Amino acid sequence: MRPDPATVLGAVAGAVAAQVPTTSTPFGQQTLGIAAGLSMMLAQDIDRAPARLVEEHRATAAILRDAIPQLGDAELAARIEDALAHDILADLHISALQAADDSVRALLVEVHAAVEAMPGDTAAALNERIWEELKESTRRRHLVTGI
Amino acid sequence: MESALETYLASHLSGASGVTVSSLLRIPGGASRETWMFDASWDESGNPQSAAFIVRKDPPGSLVESDREVEYAFYSAFADHPIVPVPGMRWLEKDPQHLGAPFFIMDRILDCEASPRGIQASPYDATRDALAHRFYEILAAIATSDDAVAHVRKLVPVPALDGAWKHELDYWEGMINANEMGPQPIARAAIRWLRANPPPPAQRISAVHGDYRVGNFLYQPGGIFGIVDWEMAHLGDPLEDLAWSFHELWEWGRPGLKGGIIPATDAIAIFEQASGLHVDPVALHWWEVFSGVKAQGIWLTGARSFQDGRSREVMLAQTSWSLINRADEILLRLLGRAP
Repeated sequence: MRPDPATVLGAVAGAVAAQVPTTSTPFGQQTLGIAAGLSMMLAQDIDRAPARLVEEHRATAAILRDAIPQLGDAELAARIEDALAHDILADLHISALQAADDSVRALLVEVHAAVEAMPGDTAAALNERIWEELKESTRRRHLVTGI
Repeated sequence: MESALETYLASHLSGASGVTVSSLLRIPGGASRETWMFDASWDESGNPQSAAFIVRKDPPGSLVESDREVEYAFYSAFADHPIVPVPGMRWLEKDPQHLGAPFFIMDRILDCEASPRGIQASPYDATRDALAHRFYEILAAIATSDDAVAHVRKLVPVPALDGAWKHELDYWEGMINANEMGPQPIARAAIRWLRANPPPPAQRISAVHGDYRVGNFLYQPGGIFGIVDWEMAHLGDPLEDLAWSFHELWEWGRPGLKGGIIPATDAIAIFEQASGLHVDPVALHWWEVFSGVKAQGIWLTGARSFQDGRSREVMLAQTSWSLINRADEILLRLLGRAP
């Protein structure tokens, strides 16, 4: 058993920050301060990132699936179907999870633009649902930065 | 770098001999270029001379892709201006052979600080309001300077009154297109909103600093002595700078105080009084939403520079991690989608 990455990065951040007062140049102090802050942010995200990406992929996929009947765009619908056929759990590397999440979020951009242009209560409701998911996406990524 | 600067100054200081460079130090700030300070001394016809300088050197990659010639021109446009203080510009050098990259050298304004946190500290309790007042008087002077517009108009596009917003939005949407490493659904929604709700035409075409905020001026308790970091300067709608100075990120932990130093209503009143321009709330809001998109464009550009290896400045990694999601959170609030 080894110390988990978040704990290690937190300790690295503390060790780097402790050197700031002993560093003689303003640029050196700034660089060390940034390195410490960056380590803290990575520590916050490293454990949750896979869960965040899978949760977001599923939430976005659900919106896209429900949007298909409203779109009236066979080509876009086909691309959504292709994306939804991909099993995000097939590759658990963070880079692969990120790519899968990016693919559905790119489609969400297109669907959002299409829905904004549609009249009617159903489209309006879908628009609100997309905004709620976008708000939720910032909550998932939120980091305590001190800025 | 000392010897390279000595060689350069020896060939550019008229009648100088024995040029010596000392105290060369990279300093924080000015994230689009490497910023260094140094002192120089030399002999001129038997008389010892000395000066304090700043050199701004192009980096391989940065937060913004900017033109040093344009930045130099905007600084020069306000030389000797009675209200807008800027450091004196000395030399613009496009040839990379001297320092390894193009650069310019300007006078160093001494004994000032630039920190956004410094002006919030207790030594400034008695003078903070006066500094904030002056900050917006200076912005009004930038916004109403016909001489500055005339000085730079051959170097930069001059948008039409009803086209200034589109020119800037096209540019920053292009930066997002070029630099995003993943989809940006919130920024894209904001861009659609901006195009669907264009602002009224600009009241005039002005010099726009492009990064006018607390953190980009040099100050002492006695006043503001330098407006710096003109790397995003251009011609456009003067409300752009006002809105950028109001951006939530520049509140520096003091919510509701623009720049962390002044309520918006006070800043608007000072700006209107000093400039004679009207701050239309609808137009101002448009430019505030635009500022959110522009900020995201900047952070995405820095992220791409770092990821591509054009820069390994840890600041670019830090702004990517700390500010891209923060920019989305701010855009949600500006669009009325979050409290």
